[in-house]
Amino acid sequence: MVEANKEIKEGIWSWAKFLRKGIGYFAFALHRLTGIVILFYLYLHYTVLSNLLRGQASYNAIVRSITYGPYDSFLVLDFLLALVIFYHGANGVRLALNEFGIGLNHNKALFYTFEIIAMILLGIFDYYALQFVGVGF
Amino acid sequence: MVEEYEFEIKRKDESGKVYYQTYRVPKDQISTVLEGLLYIKENIDHTLDFRYSCRMEICGSCGMEINGKPRTACSTIVKQLKKDHVKIEPLKHYRVIKDLVVDMDPFFEKYKEVKPYIIRNDDGVYDRELKQTPEQFYEYANYSMCIKCGLCMAACPIVGSDPQYLGPAPLAAAWRFIADNRDEGAKYRVAVIDGEEGTSRCHFSGECTEVCPKGVDPSFAIQKLRKVSFKIELASLFGRS
Amino acid sequence: MGAKTEMRYGSLSRFFQAITGLFIIFFLGVHLFAAHINFGHPVAFFNSVLLQLRDPWWFAFFLIFVYVITYHGINGLKNLIDDTSISVRAKRRIGIILYIIYFITIIYGTILTILVVQIPVPS
Repeated sequence: MVEANKEIKEGIWSWAKFLRKGIGYFAFALHRLTGIVILFYLYLHYTVLSNLLRGQASYNAIVRSITYGPYDSFLVLDFLLALVIFYHGANGVRLALNEFGIGLNHNKALFYTFEIIAMILLGIFDYYALQFVGVGF
Repeated sequence: MVEEYEFEIKRKDESGKVYYQTYRVPKDQISTVLEGLLYIKENIDHTLDFRYSCRMEICGSCGMEINGKPRTACSTIVKQLKKDHVKIEPLKHYRVIKDLVVDMDPFFEKYKEVKPYIIRNDDGVYDRELKQTPEQFYEYANYSMCIKCGLCMAACPIVGSDPQYLGPAPLAAAWRFIADNRDEGAKYRVAVIDGEEGTSRCHFSGECTEVCPKGVDPSFAIQKLRKVSFKIELASLFGRS
Repeated sequence: MGAKTEMRYGSLSRFFQAITGLFIIFFLGVHLFAAHINFGHPVAFFNSVLLQLRDPWWFAFFLIFVYVITYHGINGLKNLIDDTSISVRAKRRIGIILYIIYFITIIYGTILTILVVQIPVPS
C-alpha cells in the first residue's frame, strides 16, 4: 500500500468542513456529526435508565427534575435531539437505498425529499410533545 | 485605467517556505486562469511554477485549487468565477513540490494497485478480436474518460483524513475494467477495492462527481463496485468463488 | 495477472450498517410514539416503564432494540476511526476495543432489563 504522507493529510476533523461544498458533502458531514451526537446520547440514556435499579423515588425524581425543573432546560436539548435523530434517520434511509443500488442517479432529489418528510414528521412529533409541556395551540 | 484581476497565489520555494503572493493581471489579456498564470510567468514573475500541457482539458496536468475548489486551470474562465480576486492554491491532499506543482506519484501508485488493465482467464492468444456491442461499450465508456487530473482526490473528504484511501479515480478505473465485458478479473481486484482502503470507505459525499471536469461520476462507480464486491464476498462466505 | 489475495468483508459490513439503520427507523418510530406521545407524559415514570417491560413483546422489543442500535452506533464510530490516518494495526486494535465495548453494553443492557422486570411494581 502507498505510505501515507504526513504533509498531505488534513486532520481528523477535516471531513466536517462542509462550507462552500456541494449538498452531498453537507449531507455526509451532518450525518456523521449527528451520528456522534446520537451515540453520545445513547450511552447517556443507558446511564439514566440504570437509575431504575435505584427504585421509584430516585428514578421519578430524575424524571421530574428534567421535565419540571430545575433541569427542565434539558427538554430544549431533547427537541434538538429529535431534530438530530430525524435528520440522521432520513439521510440514513437515502444511504440504505443507495446500498441497494436504488436512487444512485437522483441523490439530491432523494435527499431533499426525505429531509422534508422527516421535518414534517418532526413537526408532528414536536406538536404532541409540546402539548405535554403545557404549551397550548 | 486598465481593469485588472488580482491573482493571489500560494507559493512554496525550494527552502520549503510557504507564502502568498499577489499579482495583478489585465482583464483584457486573459480569459482562463491558465492564461492568467502564463501571463504572470511571462511578464511579471518567471519563477512561478505550475503544470500545464494541452490547454484543453485533456491531459489533466493543470489541476489546482481555484477559489477553494479543485478545478483545471485551462478550462476555468475567470469571468465565470464572478470575482476579481482569484485565489489559487496547489491541490489539497498532495505533497507540494514547488508553488502549484504537486507530487502525483502516490496517486499513480494507487492507480496501479487496482490493476487498470484487461484481465482474462485464457492464454491471451486470439484468432479474432474480442467482441463488444455498443450497449456493452456504453456500460463503461463514461468511466474511461478519466484524464487522471486528480481533482477528485483533492475533493474527497476521506482522502483528506486518510491519505491511504484508494480514492475516487482509482476506484472508478477499477469499475471501468470490471464493467468491461472483455474483462474477467473482478475477483482479482476485489481484495484491493474492498480492502481496508477500498470502497467501504466511501460515504457518498459526491464531491468527486462535483469536481470531475469530464463528468466521470466516480461516486456512482464506487457504488456499483460495492455491489460487485458484495456479491463476491457473499459467495466466498458460502465457499463459492 | 495478479493472484487472488485475502478476502475482506467491507461491503458486507456496510450492508449490515444499512440494514440495522432501517430496523432502527422502525424501532425508534415505535419507541418515540409509545414513550413520548402515547404515554401521556414526555418522559415515562417508573411504574409505566416497569409495566411496559412486563409485556414479553415489549421486553423482546427493547432487548433487540438495544442490540441493534448499539451495533449501528459502535460500527458507525468504527467507520469514522477507520477513515483516519492512524496505522492499520491501531485501527484493528481500536476496532477490537469497540467490539468489546459493544458486547459489554449489550450484556449490561440485557442484565439491566432482566433486573428491572423483576422489580415489583409499587402500588
